[in-house]
Amino acid sequence: MSSGTLRQVGLDIQDSEENRGLIDAIKADNPELTIRHIPGLVKLQAAGQIVINRVTVESMLGREWETGEFQLSIVSYAGNFSEWDDDQIIVKWEH
Amino acid sequence: MQYELRSQVIEPKRQTYQNIIDRMGDQPVSRYLEGTLDVQPRENFHYRPTWAQDRELYDERFSALRLTDPYSFTDPRQYYYMPYVTNRAGLHDGFGKTIKYLEDRELLAKMPTTWQSVLTSVVLPLRHYESGAQLVSVAGARFAYGTSLEQCCSYAAFDRIGNAQMLSRVGIALGGGSGDLLKLAKQEWLDGEHLQPLRRLVEEIMVVEDWAEGVLAIDLVDSLLYPLLYNRLDDVALTGGAGAYSLFTQHLWTWFADQRKWLDALVAVWAADPGHSEENQAILARIVATWAGRAQEAVGALASVIDAQVLDADSSTSLNEITQTRAAYWAKVTGGAV
Repeated sequence: MSSGTLRQVGLDIQDSEENRGLIDAIKADNPELTIRHIPGLVKLQAAGQIVINRVTVESMLGREWETGEFQLSIVSYAGNFSEWDDDQIIVKWEH
Repeated sequence: MQYELRSQVIEPKRQTYQNIIDRMGDQPVSRYLEGTLDVQPRENFHYRPTWAQDRELYDERFSALRLTDPYSFTDPRQYYYMPYVTNRAGLHDGFGKTIKYLEDRELLAKMPTTWQSVLTSVVLPLRHYESGAQLVSVAGARFAYGTSLEQCCSYAAFDRIGNAQMLSRVGIALGGGSGDLLKLAKQEWLDGEHLQPLRRLVEEIMVVEDWAEGVLAIDLVDSLLYPLLYNRLDDVALTGGAGAYSLFTQHLWTWFADQRKWLDALVAVWAADPGHSEENQAILARIVATWAGRAQEAVGALASVIDAQVLDADSSTSLNEITQTRAAYWAKVTGGAV
Protein backbone atom coordinates (compact mmCIF):
# COMPACT_ATOMS: atom_id res chain seq x y z
CA MET A 1 0.00 0.00 0.00
CA SER A 2 2.49 2.73 1.14
CA SER A 3 0.87 5.54 -0.80
CA GLY A 4 2.46 8.14 1.47
CA THR A 5 -0.76 9.78 2.60
CA LEU A 6 -2.63 8.46 5.57
CA ARG A 7 -6.00 6.99 4.79
CA GLN A 8 -9.03 8.22 6.72
CA VAL A 9 -10.54 6.05 9.41
CA GLY A 10 -14.03 6.76 10.63
CA LEU A 11 -16.53 5.99 13.37
CA ASP A 12 -20.26 6.58 13.14
CA ILE A 13 -21.76 6.96 16.57
CA GLN A 14 -25.40 7.27 17.48
CA ASP A 15 -26.24 10.83 18.50
CA SER A 16 -27.72 10.39 21.95
CA GLU A 17 -27.41 11.77 25.46
CA GLU A 18 -25.42 8.74 26.66
CA ASN A 19 -22.90 9.00 23.83
CA ARG A 20 -22.12 12.66 24.31
CA GLY A 21 -19.46 11.97 26.93
CA LEU A 22 -17.95 9.29 24.71
CA ILE A 23 -17.74 11.68 21.76
CA ASP A 24 -16.18 14.36 23.98
CA ALA A 25 -13.58 11.82 25.11
CA ILE A 26 -12.72 10.84 21.53
CA LYS A 27 -12.48 14.52 20.69
CA ALA A 28 -10.08 15.08 23.57
CA ASP A 29 -7.82 12.17 22.66
CA ASN A 30 -7.74 12.80 18.91
CA PRO A 31 -6.95 16.45 18.17
CA GLU A 32 -7.10 15.96 14.38
CA LEU A 33 -10.66 14.70 14.44
CA THR A 34 -13.30 16.05 12.06
CA ILE A 35 -16.84 15.80 13.31
CA ARG A 36 -20.02 15.91 11.27
CA HIS A 37 -23.48 15.88 12.76
CA ILE A 38 -26.14 14.31 10.59
CA PRO A 39 -29.61 13.44 11.89
CA GLY A 40 -29.31 10.75 14.51
CA LEU A 41 -25.64 10.20 13.82
CA VAL A 42 -22.28 11.74 14.59
CA LYS A 43 -19.59 10.94 12.02
CA LEU A 44 -16.03 11.10 13.31
CA GLN A 45 -13.10 10.97 10.91
CA ALA A 46 -9.35 11.22 11.30
CA ALA A 47 -6.32 10.47 9.21
CA GLY A 48 -4.41 7.36 10.21
CA GLN A 49 -6.09 6.32 13.44
CA ILE A 50 -8.63 7.05 16.15
CA VAL A 51 -7.85 6.21 19.76
CA ILE A 52 -10.39 5.76 22.54
CA ASN A 53 -9.06 5.61 26.09
CA ARG A 54 -11.19 4.14 28.85
CA VAL A 55 -9.83 6.59 31.43
CA THR A 56 -10.78 9.63 29.36
CA VAL A 57 -14.26 8.28 28.64
CA GLU A 58 -14.79 7.56 32.34
CA SER A 59 -13.81 11.08 33.32
CA MET A 60 -16.20 12.55 30.74
CA LEU A 61 -19.07 10.25 31.68
CA GLY A 62 -18.51 10.49 35.42
CA ARG A 63 -18.92 6.76 35.86
CA GLU A 64 -17.11 3.51 35.20
CA TRP A 65 -17.09 2.45 31.57
CA GLU A 66 -16.03 -0.80 29.98
CA THR A 67 -14.62 -0.75 26.48
CA GLY A 68 -17.19 -3.42 25.58
CA GLU A 69 -19.92 -0.81 26.01
CA PHE A 70 -18.58 0.84 22.89
CA GLN A 71 -20.52 -1.80 20.94
CA LEU A 72 -23.75 -0.16 22.07
CA SER A 73 -22.78 3.27 20.77
CA ILE A 74 -21.37 2.46 17.38
CA VAL A 75 -23.43 2.31 14.17
CA SER A 76 -20.69 1.80 11.61
CA TYR A 77 -16.96 2.22 11.15
CA ALA A 78 -14.25 2.44 8.53
CA GLY A 79 -10.90 0.84 9.38
CA ASN A 80 -9.84 -2.12 11.45
CA PHE A 81 -10.01 -2.45 15.18
CA SER A 82 -6.31 -2.97 15.60
CA GLU A 83 -6.63 -3.01 19.36
CA TRP A 84 -9.58 -3.54 21.68
CA ASP A 85 -8.59 -4.34 25.22
CA ASP A 86 -9.74 -3.28 28.68
CA ASP A 87 -8.12 0.14 28.51
CA GLN A 88 -7.98 1.19 24.91
CA ILE A 89 -9.57 0.88 21.50
CA ILE A 90 -7.58 1.82 18.42
CA VAL A 91 -9.09 2.00 14.95
CA LYS A 92 -6.71 2.11 12.00
CA TRP A 93 -6.05 0.55 8.63
CA GLU A 94 -3.73 -2.39 9.01
CA HIS A 95 -3.09 -3.25 5.37
CA MET B 1 -37.46 5.00 -13.19
CA GLN B 2 -34.86 5.74 -10.63
CA TYR B 3 -35.15 7.28 -7.22
CA GLU B 4 -32.35 9.02 -5.51
CA LEU B 5 -32.44 9.04 -1.75
CA ARG B 6 -30.89 12.04 -0.15
CA SER B 7 -30.85 13.19 3.40
CA GLN B 8 -31.50 16.81 3.96
CA VAL B 9 -29.93 18.32 7.03
CA ILE B 10 -31.90 21.05 8.71
CA GLU B 11 -29.59 22.98 10.98
CA PRO B 12 -31.29 23.75 14.27
CA LYS B 13 -31.34 27.46 15.12
CA ARG B 14 -29.54 26.74 18.35
CA GLN B 15 -27.89 23.60 19.66
CA THR B 16 -28.49 24.26 23.31
CA TYR B 17 -29.77 26.65 25.96
CA GLN B 18 -28.57 30.18 26.52
CA ASN B 19 -26.86 29.38 29.82
CA ILE B 20 -24.57 26.98 27.94
CA ILE B 21 -24.06 29.27 24.94
CA ASP B 22 -22.89 32.09 27.24
CA ARG B 23 -20.13 29.90 28.61
CA MET B 24 -19.20 27.32 26.05
CA GLY B 25 -20.56 28.51 22.73
CA ASP B 26 -23.38 26.96 20.76
CA GLN B 27 -22.71 23.25 21.04
CA PRO B 28 -24.67 20.31 22.35
CA VAL B 29 -23.61 19.33 25.88
CA SER B 30 -24.72 16.81 28.48
CA ARG B 31 -28.01 17.06 30.35
CA TYR B 32 -26.00 17.52 33.51
CA LEU B 33 -24.39 20.73 32.25
CA GLU B 34 -27.66 21.99 30.77
CA GLY B 35 -29.35 21.67 34.14
CA THR B 36 -26.43 22.98 36.17
CA LEU B 37 -24.44 25.84 34.68
CA ASP B 38 -25.60 29.24 35.91
CA VAL B 39 -29.03 27.98 36.91
CA GLN B 40 -29.03 29.66 40.31
CA PRO B 41 -29.98 33.37 40.07
CA ARG B 42 -27.24 35.90 40.69
CA GLU B 43 -29.00 39.23 40.40
CA ASN B 44 -32.28 41.10 40.68
CA PHE B 45 -33.02 39.86 44.16
CA HIS B 46 -35.87 41.99 45.41
CA TYR B 47 -35.68 41.28 49.09
CA ARG B 48 -32.90 40.64 51.51
CA PRO B 49 -33.34 37.91 54.08
CA THR B 50 -34.86 39.52 57.18
CA TRP B 51 -32.48 37.50 59.36
CA ALA B 52 -29.36 38.71 57.55
CA GLN B 53 -29.80 42.27 56.33
CA ASP B 54 -26.35 42.51 54.79
CA ARG B 55 -26.70 39.40 52.61
CA GLU B 56 -28.53 38.64 49.39
CA LEU B 57 -30.82 35.61 49.15
CA TYR B 58 -28.02 33.76 47.35
CA ASP B 59 -24.75 35.16 48.51
CA GLU B 60 -21.25 33.75 48.25
CA ARG B 61 -20.39 35.37 51.57
CA PHE B 62 -22.32 32.62 53.34
CA SER B 63 -19.02 30.76 53.35
CA ALA B 64 -15.45 31.89 53.85
CA LEU B 65 -14.36 29.42 51.18
CA ARG B 66 -14.74 31.14 47.82
CA LEU B 67 -14.50 30.22 44.19
CA THR B 68 -13.73 32.80 41.51
CA ASP B 69 -16.20 30.96 39.32
CA PRO B 70 -18.48 28.59 41.27
CA TYR B 71 -18.88 26.50 38.12
CA SER B 72 -15.18 25.70 38.01
CA PHE B 73 -16.45 22.85 40.17
CA THR B 74 -18.73 20.34 38.52
CA ASP B 75 -19.87 17.07 40.02
CA PRO B 76 -17.55 14.33 38.71
CA ARG B 77 -20.49 11.93 38.98
CA GLN B 78 -22.61 14.30 36.84
CA TYR B 79 -25.68 13.75 38.98
CA TYR B 80 -28.83 15.57 38.14
CA TYR B 81 -32.12 14.22 39.38
CA MET B 82 -32.52 11.23 37.08
CA PRO B 83 -29.06 9.65 37.23
CA TYR B 84 -28.98 10.32 40.96
CA VAL B 85 -32.29 8.57 41.55
CA THR B 86 -31.40 5.68 39.23
CA ASN B 87 -28.09 5.19 40.98
CA ARG B 88 -29.54 5.29 44.48
CA ALA B 89 -32.46 3.07 43.53
CA GLY B 90 -29.83 0.52 42.50
CA LEU B 91 -27.99 0.93 45.78
CA HIS B 92 -31.12 0.48 47.88
CA ASP B 93 -32.35 -2.41 45.73
CA GLY B 94 -29.08 -4.15 46.46
CA PHE B 95 -29.44 -3.37 50.13
CA GLY B 96 -33.06 -4.60 50.12
CA LYS B 97 -31.96 -7.96 48.70
CA THR B 98 -29.23 -8.24 51.33
CA ILE B 99 -31.59 -7.48 54.18
CA LYS B 100 -34.16 -9.96 52.88
CA TYR B 101 -31.48 -12.64 52.80
CA LEU B 102 -30.41 -11.72 56.33
CA GLU B 103 -34.02 -11.92 57.51
CA ASP B 104 -34.82 -15.18 55.74
CA ARG B 105 -31.84 -16.93 57.28
CA GLU B 106 -32.06 -15.00 60.56
CA LEU B 107 -28.38 -14.31 60.10
CA LEU B 108 -28.31 -11.23 62.30
CA ALA B 109 -29.75 -13.10 65.25
CA LYS B 110 -27.22 -15.89 64.66
CA MET B 111 -24.28 -13.52 64.98
CA PRO B 112 -22.10 -13.96 68.07
CA THR B 113 -23.60 -11.97 70.97
CA THR B 114 -20.55 -9.70 71.12
CA TRP B 115 -21.25 -8.56 67.58
CA GLN B 116 -24.94 -8.08 68.35
CA SER B 117 -24.00 -5.78 71.15
CA VAL B 118 -21.61 -3.86 68.86
CA LEU B 119 -24.61 -3.35 66.59
CA THR B 120 -26.97 -2.15 69.31
CA SER B 121 -24.49 -0.05 71.26
CA VAL B 122 -22.45 1.52 68.44
CA VAL B 123 -23.82 1.05 64.94
CA LEU B 124 -27.59 1.47 65.33
CA PRO B 125 -27.40 4.73 67.33
CA LEU B 126 -25.54 6.20 64.36
CA ARG B 127 -28.87 6.67 62.59
CA HIS B 128 -29.13 9.80 64.73
CA TYR B 129 -25.66 10.83 63.61
CA GLU B 130 -26.85 10.47 60.00
CA SER B 131 -29.82 12.62 60.84
CA GLY B 132 -27.56 15.38 62.17
CA ALA B 133 -25.34 15.11 59.11
CA GLN B 134 -28.45 15.47 56.97
CA LEU B 135 -29.23 18.86 58.50
CA VAL B 136 -25.68 20.01 57.85
CA SER B 137 -25.98 19.02 54.19
CA VAL B 138 -29.33 20.75 53.92
CA ALA B 139 -27.65 23.95 55.10
CA GLY B 140 -25.15 23.47 52.28
CA ALA B 141 -27.98 22.95 49.81
CA ARG B 142 -29.50 26.26 50.85
CA PHE B 143 -26.46 28.48 51.35
CA ALA B 144 -23.89 27.23 48.86
CA TYR B 145 -23.28 29.57 45.95
CA GLY B 146 -23.59 27.89 42.55
CA THR B 147 -25.95 25.16 41.38
CA SER B 148 -23.15 22.62 40.98
CA LEU B 149 -22.38 22.85 44.70
CA GLU B 150 -25.99 23.07 45.86
CA GLN B 151 -26.93 19.96 43.89
CA CYS B 152 -24.22 17.86 45.49
CA CYS B 153 -25.23 19.03 48.96
CA SER B 154 -28.91 18.28 48.29
CA TYR B 155 -28.16 14.77 47.14
CA ALA B 156 -25.80 14.24 50.06
CA ALA B 157 -28.68 15.27 52.35
CA PHE B 158 -31.07 12.78 50.71
CA ASP B 159 -28.37 10.16 51.05
CA ARG B 160 -28.18 10.67 54.77
CA ILE B 161 -31.84 9.81 55.16
CA GLY B 162 -31.15 6.74 53.05
CA ASN B 163 -28.22 5.74 55.22
CA ALA B 164 -30.23 6.21 58.40
CA GLN B 165 -32.95 4.09 56.83
CA MET B 166 -30.49 1.31 56.05
CA LEU B 167 -29.36 1.29 59.69
CA SER B 168 -32.97 1.31 60.87
CA ARG B 169 -33.84 -1.67 58.71
CA VAL B 170 -30.88 -3.57 60.11
CA GLY B 171 -32.12 -2.71 63.60
CA ILE B 172 -35.64 -3.89 62.82
CA ALA B 173 -34.32 -7.09 61.27
CA LEU B 174 -32.11 -7.77 64.28
CA GLY B 175 -35.06 -7.08 66.58
CA GLY B 176 -37.10 -9.74 64.76
CA GLY B 177 -39.40 -7.22 63.08
CA SER B 178 -39.99 -4.91 66.05
CA GLY B 179 -38.69 -1.40 66.58
CA ASP B 180 -37.59 -2.03 70.17
CA LEU B 181 -33.90 -2.01 69.31
CA LEU B 182 -34.29 1.36 67.59
CA LYS B 183 -35.81 2.78 70.77
CA LEU B 184 -32.93 1.32 72.68
CA ALA B 185 -30.50 2.80 70.16
CA LYS B 186 -31.99 6.23 70.69
CA GLN B 187 -31.58 5.84 74.44
CA GLU B 188 -27.94 4.89 73.82
CA TRP B 189 -27.50 7.99 71.64
CA LEU B 190 -28.93 10.18 74.41
CA ASP B 191 -27.34 8.52 77.44
CA GLY B 192 -24.53 6.18 76.36
CA GLU B 193 -21.27 7.49 77.71
CA HIS B 194 -19.31 6.46 74.62
CA LEU B 195 -21.66 8.28 72.22
CA GLN B 196 -21.72 11.64 73.97
CA PRO B 197 -18.54 13.08 72.40
CA LEU B 198 -19.92 12.28 68.95
CA ARG B 199 -23.39 13.62 69.75
CA ARG B 200 -21.97 16.80 71.18
CA LEU B 201 -19.72 17.22 68.15
CA VAL B 202 -22.55 16.73 65.65
CA GLU B 203 -24.78 19.15 67.50
CA GLU B 204 -22.04 21.76 67.54
CA ILE B 205 -21.41 21.27 63.82
CA MET B 206 -25.15 21.68 63.17
CA VAL B 207 -25.00 25.28 64.42
CA VAL B 208 -21.80 26.29 62.62
CA GLU B 209 -22.75 29.31 60.55
CA ASP B 210 -20.46 28.73 57.59
CA TRP B 211 -22.12 25.93 55.59
CA ALA B 212 -18.84 24.76 54.05
CA GLU B 213 -17.19 24.48 57.43
CA GLY B 214 -20.13 22.35 58.61
CA VAL B 215 -19.98 20.05 55.60
CA LEU B 216 -16.23 19.63 55.94
CA ALA B 217 -16.42 19.08 59.70
CA ILE B 218 -18.98 16.31 59.22
CA ASP B 219 -16.76 14.88 56.53
CA LEU B 220 -13.84 14.84 58.94
CA VAL B 221 -15.96 12.59 61.17
CA ASP B 222 -17.21 10.53 58.21
CA SER B 223 -13.75 9.88 56.91
CA LEU B 224 -12.82 8.23 60.20
CA LEU B 225 -16.15 6.64 61.08
CA TYR B 226 -16.94 5.03 57.73
CA PRO B 227 -13.56 3.38 57.07
CA LEU B 228 -13.42 2.19 60.68
CA LEU B 229 -16.91 0.72 61.01
CA TYR B 230 -17.77 -0.27 57.48
CA ASN B 231 -14.40 -1.31 56.13
CA ARG B 232 -11.87 -2.27 58.82
CA LEU B 233 -14.40 -3.76 61.23
CA ASP B 234 -16.01 -5.52 58.31
CA ASP B 235 -12.79 -7.48 57.77
CA VAL B 236 -12.73 -8.45 61.42
CA ALA B 237 -16.38 -9.51 61.23
CA LEU B 238 -15.72 -11.81 58.30
CA THR B 239 -13.03 -13.74 60.13
CA GLY B 240 -14.86 -13.53 63.47
CA GLY B 241 -18.01 -15.38 62.39
CA ALA B 242 -20.16 -12.27 61.89
CA GLY B 243 -20.54 -12.41 58.12
CA ALA B 244 -23.97 -10.81 58.45
CA TYR B 245 -22.31 -7.59 59.59
CA SER B 246 -20.16 -7.49 56.50
CA LEU B 247 -23.12 -8.22 54.22
CA PHE B 248 -24.93 -5.01 55.06
CA THR B 249 -21.99 -2.72 55.72
CA GLN B 250 -20.78 -3.16 52.13
CA HIS B 251 -23.67 -0.94 51.00
CA LEU B 252 -22.75 1.88 53.38
CA TRP B 253 -19.17 1.58 52.20
CA THR B 254 -20.32 1.85 48.58
CA TRP B 255 -22.14 5.06 49.47
CA PHE B 256 -19.07 6.46 51.17
CA ALA B 257 -16.93 5.82 48.09
CA ASP B 258 -19.50 7.75 46.06
CA GLN B 259 -19.57 10.63 48.55
CA ARG B 260 -15.76 10.88 48.42
CA LYS B 261 -15.85 11.52 44.69
CA TRP B 262 -17.55 14.90 44.85
CA LEU B 263 -16.17 16.09 48.17
CA ASP B 264 -12.55 15.37 47.30
CA ALA B 265 -13.06 17.04 43.92
CA LEU B 266 -14.59 20.10 45.59
CA VAL B 267 -11.79 20.39 48.13
CA ALA B 268 -9.25 20.16 45.30
CA VAL B 269 -11.04 22.93 43.38
CA TRP B 270 -11.18 25.14 46.48
CA ALA B 271 -7.48 24.64 47.15
CA ALA B 272 -6.48 25.33 43.53
CA ASP B 273 -8.79 28.26 42.79
CA PRO B 274 -6.96 30.84 40.66
CA GLY B 275 -8.11 33.82 42.74
CA HIS B 276 -8.56 32.45 46.23
CA SER B 277 -6.28 29.43 46.59
CA GLU B 278 -4.10 30.89 49.33
CA GLU B 279 -6.99 32.10 51.48
CA ASN B 280 -8.88 28.86 50.84
CA GLN B 281 -5.93 26.71 51.86
CA ALA B 282 -5.54 28.69 55.05
CA ILE B 283 -9.26 28.34 55.81
CA LEU B 284 -9.19 24.62 55.05
CA ALA B 285 -6.21 24.27 57.37
CA ARG B 286 -8.08 26.16 60.11
CA ILE B 287 -11.19 23.98 59.67
CA VAL B 288 -9.14 20.80 59.88
CA ALA B 289 -7.25 22.12 62.91
CA THR B 290 -10.54 23.00 64.63
CA TRP B 291 -12.45 19.78 63.99
CA ALA B 292 -10.08 16.90 63.15
CA GLY B 293 -8.94 16.37 66.72
CA ARG B 294 -12.49 16.35 68.02
CA ALA B 295 -13.54 13.94 65.30
CA GLN B 296 -10.77 11.57 66.26
CA GLU B 297 -11.70 11.82 69.92
CA ALA B 298 -15.40 11.13 69.20
CA VAL B 299 -14.74 8.16 66.95
CA GLY B 300 -12.02 6.99 69.33
CA ALA B 301 -14.62 6.64 72.09
CA LEU B 302 -16.57 4.28 69.82
CA ALA B 303 -13.43 2.37 68.88
CA SER B 304 -12.60 1.64 72.51
CA VAL B 305 -16.12 0.37 73.17
CA ILE B 306 -15.82 -1.93 70.17
CA ASP B 307 -12.42 -3.15 71.37
CA ALA B 308 -13.88 -3.90 74.78
CA GLN B 309 -16.61 -6.04 73.19
CA VAL B 310 -14.84 -7.76 70.32
CA LEU B 311 -11.47 -8.84 71.61
CA ASP B 312 -9.48 -9.03 68.38
CA ALA B 313 -11.11 -6.01 66.72
CA ASP B 314 -8.09 -3.73 67.19
CA SER B 315 -10.25 -0.75 66.27
CA SER B 316 -8.12 1.80 68.07
CA THR B 317 -5.07 0.77 66.06
CA SER B 318 -7.09 0.85 62.85
CA LEU B 319 -8.40 4.29 63.76
CA ASN B 320 -4.86 5.57 64.27
CA GLU B 321 -3.88 4.32 60.82
CA ILE B 322 -6.93 5.89 59.21
CA THR B 323 -6.26 9.17 61.02
CA GLN B 324 -2.71 9.24 59.72
CA THR B 325 -3.81 8.64 56.12
CA ARG B 326 -6.32 11.46 56.39
CA ALA B 327 -3.80 13.79 58.01
CA ALA B 328 -1.42 13.12 55.11
CA TYR B 329 -4.22 13.89 52.67
CA TRP B 330 -5.00 17.22 54.33
CA ALA B 331 -1.34 18.15 54.58
CA LYS B 332 -1.10 17.65 50.83
CA VAL B 333 -4.25 19.65 50.08
CA THR B 334 -3.29 22.60 52.24
CA GLY B 335 0.36 22.63 51.21
CA GLY B 336 1.60 21.42 54.57
CA ALA B 337 -0.39 23.91 56.65
CA VAL B 338 -1.83 21.18 58.90
